[in-house]
Amino acid sequence: MIKGIIIVNNSGQARICKFFQQVHREGYSPEEAQQSVVQQVYKQVSERPDSFCNYLEGSIMQWGDATKLIYRHYATLYFVFAVDKLESDLGILDLIQVFVEALDKCFENVCELDLIFHSDKVHYILDEIVMAGMVLETNIVTILSGVNDQTKLHQKSTSKLNEALGKATSTKMGSPGVR
Amino acid sequence: MASMMSAHLSKDFFDLVKAIGESKSKQQEDRIISDEVQTLKKKMPEAKISRKKMKEFLVRLIYVEMLGHDAAFGYIRAIELAASKNLIQKRVGYLCSGLCLSPDHEFRFMLVNQLQQDMTSSNFLEVAAALGATIRLATTDMIPPLLAHVVKLLQHDRELVRKKTVMVLHRFHRLDASAVSHLGPQMRRTLCDKDPSVMAASLCLLHAQITEKPLGFKELVPSFVSILKQIVEHRLPRDFDYHRMPAPWAQLRLLRILALLGRADQSTSEGMYEVLGDVIRRADTGINVGYAIVYECVRTVTTIYPNNNLLDEAARAIARFLGSENHNLKYLGITGLAQVVEQHPKYAAEHQLAVIDCLSSVDDTLKRKTLDLLYRMMNPVNVEFIASKLVESLEQSTDDFLRRALVSRLCTAAERFAPSNAWYVATIVRVMELAGELVPNEVAQQMLSLVAEGGEEGDADALRADAVDRFVGMLHREVVPDGLFHVLAWVLGEFAQLSSESASVAEAIATLAADDARLKGAPRARELLLTALIKLAAQSDDINTKAALRSLAERFASSSNIELQQRALEALNLLDASTEDSGLLEDALPYDASLEDPLDGVVTGEGEDRNGGDALGFLDRFVASALNAGAAPYQKPVDDENETESESEEETSNFKFEAYAEPQKPGRRVQQTSYPMGDSTENDEEIARRLQEAEYANQPPQRTTARGGNAIGSGGGLAAASGPWGAPRQPVAPTPAAPRPAAAPTQQQRAPTPTEPEEKTAEQAEKERMAAALFGGVGAATAAAPRRAPRKASNASSRQASRSPPPPAPPPAPEPSLLDLGAPEEPPAPAPPPPPVSDLLGDLSAPAPAPVPPPSTASDPFAAFDGLSLTEATPSTAFAPEKLTTADFGGRWGPTKHEKRAEVSLTPTQTTPDAVAAGLAKVGAVLVEAIPATRELILAATHTPTAAICLWHVKLLATSAALVTVRSPNPEVARLALEASVGALSSSA
Repeated sequence: MIKGIIIVNNSGQARICKFFQQVHREGYSPEEAQQSVVQQVYKQVSERPDSFCNYLEGSIMQWGDATKLIYRHYATLYFVFAVDKLESDLGILDLIQVFVEALDKCFENVCELDLIFHSDKVHYILDEIVMAGMVLETNIVTILSGVNDQTKLHQKSTSKLNEALGKATSTKMGSPGVR
Repeated sequence: MASMMSAHLSKDFFDLVKAIGESKSKQQEDRIISDEVQTLKKKMPEAKISRKKMKEFLVRLIYVEMLGHDAAFGYIRAIELAASKNLIQKRVGYLCSGLCLSPDHEFRFMLVNQLQQDMTSSNFLEVAAALGATIRLATTDMIPPLLAHVVKLLQHDRELVRKKTVMVLHRFHRLDASAVSHLGPQMRRTLCDKDPSVMAASLCLLHAQITEKPLGFKELVPSFVSILKQIVEHRLPRDFDYHRMPAPWAQLRLLRILALLGRADQSTSEGMYEVLGDVIRRADTGINVGYAIVYECVRTVTTIYPNNNLLDEAARAIARFLGSENHNLKYLGITGLAQVVEQHPKYAAEHQLAVIDCLSSVDDTLKRKTLDLLYRMMNPVNVEFIASKLVESLEQSTDDFLRRALVSRLCTAAERFAPSNAWYVATIVRVMELAGELVPNEVAQQMLSLVAEGGEEGDADALRADAVDRFVGMLHREVVPDGLFHVLAWVLGEFAQLSSESASVAEAIATLAADDARLKGAPRARELLLTALIKLAAQSDDINTKAALRSLAERFASSSNIELQQRALEALNLLDASTEDSGLLEDALPYDASLEDPLDGVVTGEGEDRNGGDALGFLDRFVASALNAGAAPYQKPVDDENETESESEEETSNFKFEAYAEPQKPGRRVQQTSYPMGDSTENDEEIARRLQEAEYANQPPQRTTARGGNAIGSGGGLAAASGPWGAPRQPVAPTPAAPRPAAAPTQQQRAPTPTEPEEKTAEQAEKERMAAALFGGVGAATAAAPRRAPRKASNASSRQASRSPPPPAPPPAPEPSLLDLGAPEEPPAPAPPPPPVSDLLGDLSAPAPAPVPPPSTASDPFAAFDGLSLTEATPSTAFAPEKLTTADFGGRWGPTKHEKRAEVSLTPTQTTPDAVAAGLAKVGAVLVEAIPATRELILAATHTPTAAICLWHVKLLATSAALVTVRSPNPEVARLALEASVGALSSSA
């Protein structure tokens, strides 16, 4: 299964964290424990040149012995999936690709700022792709329709509350207001 | 940027994100977040806040939490927002709860009502949101109130909902399998859902269940196979293609499931072969996800009951991965090879150079995987090379996981395959030096036993001197490795006088013990060093040593460390009490007496039973008065520590030629006592033997379990039994050295290599040398039993080997027959001729990797063995059928001492358990039980001439061969029975 998904930028700032297997660290709050995992992950992936293979084995104590980090590096961001030994290594690499393509479709040329300002939406996309640590959906159209149905619904409901905004964005189904 | 702000986000949030993005240090970031926490804390409780605003606050809250700050004050707002009528607000409420609430947070339960309500909503998006939240939020306690609603949703007409429902059940199953176990049929039915995405989700659920209990799901195999077939034949809608690969992730999961179900189950596996072949061929389209599937097939093929065609196919895939320039594929190749190599070592030889390449890769992950592969390939021939590589990585690594893995592997390797005592000691010491804190005590203890014992006779001092020199060098270092102090102090204390510079050792110890800075991290070091120095002073005539001891002891006599003080005062007392004539110090601490029993020669309760009247004579009166007062006389404790060891009886009967003159003295054995007393030489060997046995008893668990639990792995026990004590006495030349001459013929037999490069660069030559060192013995050494014995017996020869770069020819002879020759009782059996060595062993002159030889008789080490056995086969009439129950058999198997084993190749028509049973019936063995699932048989018979019982265990191997293990109380009978069986099985072929 996938134990966690971390998106961290080139300077080690976490952009998205999702833990499917909770981490614990003696004497730390859950938030701090997660933060320390993020820092460990960043330290390890950032040390590796892009020419190296995209796997790192057994290096995060909090996730247990058999944890493997599978990551991809896009421009300013590292997309890191922590998985157990049952997952397919190459399969996860392609899953990251699916995830990024979905983000790209959703935000039209996704950039780091999109992830910060729409972290909720990124989480929704991720929720369609991975559930309970299992790969669930990999068809980008299906993923986005799962997310966008709700955006549409949202626009209907918000248009009543905010006429002006509704008018401005109702023509665009994707992500209102991005660029 | 301005457009960002229009995305319903306030300027506050924008500023926050910008400030964090620009912060230069962690401290600065922390300050910004703390301010934000204050802002949120102030604003969120405000009553008139709009829900839309609240949504934004919650997103900010998630952000704060993600950066590691506690925002528990806002959780309740998330719960509130989840009750919103507005879906997007509801989603944020659920999202925030799911991300922020820790698993034991009481707020989780507050959401149950809301979840129930949303699950019954007519808006499927609300239902989906609730299901998504349930997956993240559910706890064991929440299952009962939610389960009924969830199960109802399995019939929902939206596939999105059904899909998520299945995942919720999966989550429930993971939380508490018993809570959903009654839903078995319903969960299976989801596999037949008309929507493929729901089917794919149900694979996750079934996978989890099958992992726990594969037996209950065997009947689903045809369904899985047919689903997989439909997928690869493109019968799913195009929507499920990914880069024109049909539903790759579903394929991956199906392959994993099939691997679980087909493991060790021939008939189930046979149902999969065809589709696996299909998958592997169709997936190979040169795209990433295709390789993922191919690799998963490799995993499955190596897990299920093996099929040669598929294995070849898998090996070809691995070869392509290894040859790839892409590091990710290389990584898969190495991982795949590691999986194949244990069961089917022949595939490794092809890839020698690729493996060496990866070993020298700068990429840490690849290197680590390669070390893993090497460890699995380890055999007696390449152990030195591989161990040196592992030590090298240990030197360089700082990663805790890796260091731990390396240490345990090195210890196991040294234990199982050490070619000589000196190498064993050197390796363990080096490992302790590099990572002393990770080395288990037992390993250190065992190493010390070996030094104390001095290895085989005659060479004891060389081994000890070697160890001493090693440690003396460390005394002068700036930092003495902490983990080594115990070992170092003991070895130097006992044997320092063997050092070439023994005079300066005492001085160096004294200097070190007095040096605060260098001993900072090692609290007990001082005590240990002091004791070592006391011993040295006792053994040395050098006046300076005593002086050094006195000054050190005086210094520590008032130490605040009680233990140290005690030792110092004892040292002073001993020094004062020993004059030039009396030598009390020398008597108390004699040289090389660590293996002796300090209680030997001590008075027992009965007066006439003592022979060392002077030992503790002063206690006589005390003892007498105690006896008079009614105390029970001293009883010699029963020394039963080795009763269960198979070696014990045999060795005793073999080596005690003279009658036992008088009862043994009380036998409390002290292995590494610091103060051994008494002076018994006649008992030396006896104690050493016991120590030896204790050592076996102490061996790492994998060996003992192998012996007890699984008959297959039990070869090591006997190999050990004919170890150092048998070797010197037997009339036959030490066998491990015998196959060495085979090295010469090997080179002539080498198959022509496919490409003969005209010129080799130095680098190439170096790689090939490494490959030769590495791949020696691979393929032939499959059955290599853990061997402690050869390490002792072939000390000289293997040491020599370790110096010369090209590895010695391995002894790939059938081990049982070789090693068991040691039993002196047997008539000197003719040593089997060295079997033809396969050309897998590279040597220095190998210009290119040798191809895998075609499976011919010449390259099969066992073929020769079969032939040999045939000529010696005894008449089968010697054995009479013996009726035993399985329980009887089990009870007898363990205590039966003598074991012989051999691998027999079977013809294809003969690979069934029935055929083997019929074959062995000709010998006279009657079937006790056949276990079809594991393809094992047990049989029994009585050897008529000696009336000794004989037990057979036959394991049918995947390679159409059988591993025959025979046990009998009489070694000769076991040998005869094995030969007869081998003869019977091969002749019926």
